[in-house]
Amino acid sequence: MNPLVVALSGLNATDNPGPGVGVARSLREDKGLDPKMLGLVYDALEPGAHMEWLVDRAYMMPYPLAGKSAFLERISQLVAQEGLNFAIPNLDLELPLYIRCAPELEALGVKTFLPDMAQFKLRGKEHLGQLAEELGLHMPQTKVVNNLEELKEACEEVGFPLLVKGAFYSAHLVHNPLAAVAAYHEVVTQWGYPVLVQARIEGEEINLVGVGDGKGGSLGQVSAKKLVVSSQNKIFAGVTIRHEALAKAAERFLARYQWRGAFELECILKDEEIHMIEINPRFPAWVYFATAVGVNLPAQLVKAGLGLEIEPVKDYEAGKLFLRYTYEMITDMTHFKNLTLHGHT
Amino acid sequence: MEITRLSRLALNQEGFAFDPLTGNSYVANSTGALVLEALRVGKGPEEIALHLTEGYEVSLEQAALDVGEMIEQLKYLKLL
Repeated sequence: MNPLVVALSGLNATDNPGPGVGVARSLREDKGLDPKMLGLVYDALEPGAHMEWLVDRAYMMPYPLAGKSAFLERISQLVAQEGLNFAIPNLDLELPLYIRCAPELEALGVKTFLPDMAQFKLRGKEHLGQLAEELGLHMPQTKVVNNLEELKEACEEVGFPLLVKGAFYSAHLVHNPLAAVAAYHEVVTQWGYPVLVQARIEGEEINLVGVGDGKGGSLGQVSAKKLVVSSQNKIFAGVTIRHEALAKAAERFLARYQWRGAFELECILKDEEIHMIEINPRFPAWVYFATAVGVNLPAQLVKAGLGLEIEPVKDYEAGKLFLRYTYEMITDMTHFKNLTLHGHT
Repeated sequence: MEITRLSRLALNQEGFAFDPLTGNSYVANSTGALVLEALRVGKGPEEIALHLTEGYEVSLEQAALDVGEMIEQLKYLKLL
């Protein structure tokens, strides 16, 4: 049997951290997998690419917009040079490409554990209202807008303050029409159309991370409440919780959509009611929190993708704290130089 | 009295309480912790007030007021 060689992305462990470092750390801590890990980066200064204790070798990747052939060419090189046989894309923008290329990846011997395109699209922000209803959750009033006229109408209907959001990333809290227009342009410039206008729900943010087995079941899940967030609403302190209604909503989601792979439910708890904000089709940056409380979801995902028989892991203690902190890593220019000049460390 | 939400709190002897459902935590002083614990085991306000007069130098009237105030706070926090 060939050794396990896992490629993973999202190694931008900055103030807006990607999930890659948490995923790599989780896989390192699994007792059985012992993978060689390849970091897939888009910038030579992604911190994870320089963390030699997590990533054995880092490779520059073509941007997803470069398309299928550039992507598959790079993956083929990794198969030939490193024996790559498993990939975990951790960024929203990469997922459609990986999903579209699933047959080619399989033919190259690279396994993934991802939803199919229909599942991926169903949890898109523009479909969340219907999905929330099916899961028995509430959904803040949300309007999809594609031009300034629709933005104006949506703002009047939803009322200020409200959120102007991109289809993939970015959310701006705005308090007046002028700020809404500015946020709209910023979102369009960065992420394109459509733009979403969403009512702001005041409450406590509770999130759930899990892995679906693709047959309607769960391979594990952990819920946490955000206690401290950064200016970009990224969790910097949190606590594990056991919220039965949220856990049941996740189970309904998995059963209804036969979801395969990682996911995160982002919700607001207000007056006992759960309002669904987003479903992310990947691990969140806080995924290591789940691993540290005994639910190693990245390891579960890899084992499921390899076709191993595994039991769901759902037992964890409520009341465990998560504290993210900043830290400095000092290194020489070797990896930076090699990534820049040769495309790999 | 509804004690379900109170009973789910993890309460330690120093008065630190954690709600595993919502992730909220609370701190009560020693008297507050005593009242909390008594409510959790289903005691009524009068019984708790009487119990307070046995351990603290406080009149029954004042203890009843304090217990009532604590109950109002717990309702505000949606724990009762």
